[in-house]
Amino acid sequence: MSASPDRASHESIVEIRTEAGPAMIPTIRAVAADLAGRADFDLDAISDLRMAVDETCATLVSIAAPESTLTCRFTVVPDMIEVEAAVTMASGQGTDAVATDTFGWRVLQTLADNVGVLELPGTDSAATQVGIRLVKRAVTDQR
Amino acid sequence: MSESDPEYGHLVPLLREFASLTDGDPRRDALRDEIVTGFLPVAAHIARRFAHRGEPLEDLVQVATVGLIHAVDRFEPDRGSDFFSFAVPTISGEVRRHFRDLGWSMRVPRRLKDMHVAINTAVSELAQQLGRAPRPSEIAQRLDLPVAEVLEGLEAAEAYRSSSLDEMLSSEQGSATVGELVGAADAELDRVEFRQVLQPLLDELPPRERTILMLRFFGNLTQTQIGEQVGVSQMHVSRLLGQTLERMRKQIEL
Amino acid sequence: MTESAPRSGHLSTHVSTPSPGRVIVHVSGEVDTLTAPELDAALDRQLDGPATSLVLDLTGVGFLASSGLAVLIKAAHVAEERGVALSLVTANRAVVRPLEVTKTAGMFTIHDSLVTAEAALDRDGTGSSEH
Repeated sequence: MSASPDRASHESIVEIRTEAGPAMIPTIRAVAADLAGRADFDLDAISDLRMAVDETCATLVSIAAPESTLTCRFTVVPDMIEVEAAVTMASGQGTDAVATDTFGWRVLQTLADNVGVLELPGTDSAATQVGIRLVKRAVTDQR
Repeated sequence: MSESDPEYGHLVPLLREFASLTDGDPRRDALRDEIVTGFLPVAAHIARRFAHRGEPLEDLVQVATVGLIHAVDRFEPDRGSDFFSFAVPTISGEVRRHFRDLGWSMRVPRRLKDMHVAINTAVSELAQQLGRAPRPSEIAQRLDLPVAEVLEGLEAAEAYRSSSLDEMLSSEQGSATVGELVGAADAELDRVEFRQVLQPLLDELPPRERTILMLRFFGNLTQTQIGEQVGVSQMHVSRLLGQTLERMRKQIEL
Repeated sequence: MTESAPRSGHLSTHVSTPSPGRVIVHVSGEVDTLTAPELDAALDRQLDGPATSLVLDLTGVGFLASSGLAVLIKAAHVAEERGVALSLVTANRAVVRPLEVTKTAGMFTIHDSLVTAEAALDRDGTGSSEH
């Protein structure tokens, strides 16, 4: 994990790299909740972000190439956290590998203020990276 | 508790008589006084169980006595359960209601468990006020605590802690039947001479059950606190206590 | 509402039968991709059995993933099909918030403590052969 506070723009970046498997996802969501708490997110927003990060990582891990890496990058700015997670896909997976017609994706859209699939340049021509980017605001709307 | 009970047995026929009197009967008040006076040690014993929460014992005994009066008024001898099984939860419930009514303005010690209760209470109050979930800084301001402590409290809270002081106190009972059993046996144990009867029985218990029993009656800890010390859930403590006390009660009766 | 701590993924379930026909499934830990199937299997087993009322005690659940939510929704459907009265016990934001934000809370009878859940069943005279 690496963290770099950028004081000029009050932006903190925390990036986690782990094996692309379910075992480390609890840790990643713990980091998400911790960052959101320190960023003074309201308690519902913290819960939503934790669940959204879990959904994001679980989705990517399910289409990742064996023995590959999951990267999860948190950008913390006042009143908002942006999450970008990525994996190298298993061979044979295409650009539509992240299914957006699933229950899980619909839940993700409900939890996050903004969420989308990212197609990223791969490290070599044979492997394609795919990512998910989401944004969560610190304060949920009043009921 | 039966008529042959040395300390309270004489009150059993009085309870039956009281239950048979109509509301307007002139004998009612005097009889009720006699019964309540007779059972006062039970109320005092229950009040003492809550004595470590920062409320004066006098007040607690008074509240417990009110609970005893309710129990005497509501008890129906024909229903089969004995008076203790009915009265002990009624009296405990009255004392717990007293704590709930005090609200979170009651001085709460800074142990993590109590902070968790204070946090949860502050959260529900703030949520109502703000129309959304509060932020850690808002909770910190409300409780006059550093944000870092609130964050620590939020992070350290275990999922099965109660949501309010009332919940915390009521969770002490565990399931209704076991709670009643513990309460009733509890009141009886208080009257038993420790050295003569309890010690040999305690010695026979497996270590964990013995520890739990000792912590409950001599350490005066709540079931939740015992669970933390022994490393099991509060429900498990409640279950074990009920079983142990039932076993001991049977042995005492023989 | 109860605030809960992140815990490393684990789940434990434990079944109790306080009275004939009434089953309580006590769950503690986290319900996510890895552990949701275990909860699903436990609920399937109980819904397939003789229970007339099933109380899902989620007081010990510190995290519910979408896969966990899916298991709950499925249980609600199966319970309705089988005529089993299903209720959830939770006061924990980690469970309540997902139900609220996805607007699925209405599918469930939710109580904030086991005592009130059982009292409600006693009042309705369900899941007990004492009537």
